[in-house]
Amino acid sequence: MASRLDPGRSRLLLVAWLAALFAISASRDLRVLSGAGALAALLFWRGLGRNLGRTLRSVVPVTVGLSFLSLAWLRLIGGTWPPLEPFVALAARAALMGLVTFSVLDRVDALRALAPFPTISRLLAVTLAQIHALRLLSTESLQGLRSRMPRRPGPLDLLRGAGGITAALFTLSTRNARDISDAMRSRGF
Amino acid sequence: MHIPDGFVSPQISLPAYAVAAPLWAWAARRHFGRAAAESLPVIGSLTALAFVIQTIMIPVPGGTSTHLVGVMVLALLFHPLVAFVCESLVLLVQALFFGAGGITVLGLNALAMGLAGPLAGWLVWRLLRRFSEKVALFLAGWVATQAATLSVAGALGLQHRLDASYFPMPLAVTLAAMMVPSLTVAGLVEGLYTFFALSLVRKANLRGVAA
Repeated sequence: MASRLDPGRSRLLLVAWLAALFAISASRDLRVLSGAGALAALLFWRGLGRNLGRTLRSVVPVTVGLSFLSLAWLRLIGGTWPPLEPFVALAARAALMGLVTFSVLDRVDALRALAPFPTISRLLAVTLAQIHALRLLSTESLQGLRSRMPRRPGPLDLLRGAGGITAALFTLSTRNARDISDAMRSRGF
Repeated sequence: MHIPDGFVSPQISLPAYAVAAPLWAWAARRHFGRAAAESLPVIGSLTALAFVIQTIMIPVPGGTSTHLVGVMVLALLFHPLVAFVCESLVLLVQALFFGAGGITVLGLNALAMGLAGPLAGWLVWRLLRRFSEKVALFLAGWVATQAATLSVAGALGLQHRLDASYFPMPLAVTLAAMMVPSLTVAGLVEGLYTFFALSLVRKANLRGVAA
């Protein structure tokens, strides 16, 4: 992971990122999008390969899938293939915005950047901690279920145990959240 | 279900922010002040649960997938505005910490999935709970999913109508792609989740949750 910036610079970069994304989202011209893509590659060359990979995995399949569906539909009702340029521009815009987002988020510490807003920081800290806690607890529960069964648990076994596991997970998570919330309140958040 | 960055132009995303921002401020002052200190951990836990269940993809026929929203429980336990703030927080966490979803469309997604859906579900629950609480809870979850999906598809349809060269997918395609999984799978699972999760939270008798 790239080195993180200090909170002040992180806030500046987050504001610049927001402005850049709105500017990119206003464009439908492929030449402008190509230029912006080249600029983004120059600015964020460090970690470019990894972030391009993340963009290809998470952004491109949705856009391409929907584009194929729409092209087929328009061909079916219109009898001719519609122009491809708007579809390519949409895919390029979404991919560029994804790349810029992944590259910026690699460089900022969002939690520290949001520190001047105490309530949102507290709710964010509680939520992020609970996301981690819930994932940890569900992995432990699944391993517990596996250890009690002679074979690998299937979806039906998981469904049968889901009620009890969810109840336990939620109660533990709420206790954990209360501890974190009380600790943050006692520190002035 | 939510709209990713790049699908909607500032013509729609900026007015959506302009509508969402005062609602965020109002909801924060009304439901997240010092008086909410007791309920904040439960809200945080339910928000985290909503985040986690939104990452679980449910495969639907046709090769695509859908997911639950999970904030209807917050609307029923506290208020639809609490659900709105919490869904916005889920979307913010997805955008800021995981690079998923979108930041330019955060206002629009929050209004669709955090307000239109839970508000519709909450109204259905208020209307039907005197007949059967269980049915009302299930239908609240189901209606919330349909309302949220319809809002998202409507926003995309509006973008196509405003500028077809910006968003070339016609409304018929977005409606079919979104409503079929929502009506057949996501709505049913969301209804069941709302019913079971709310029963569970009520049984747990937690501090900060009204009985």
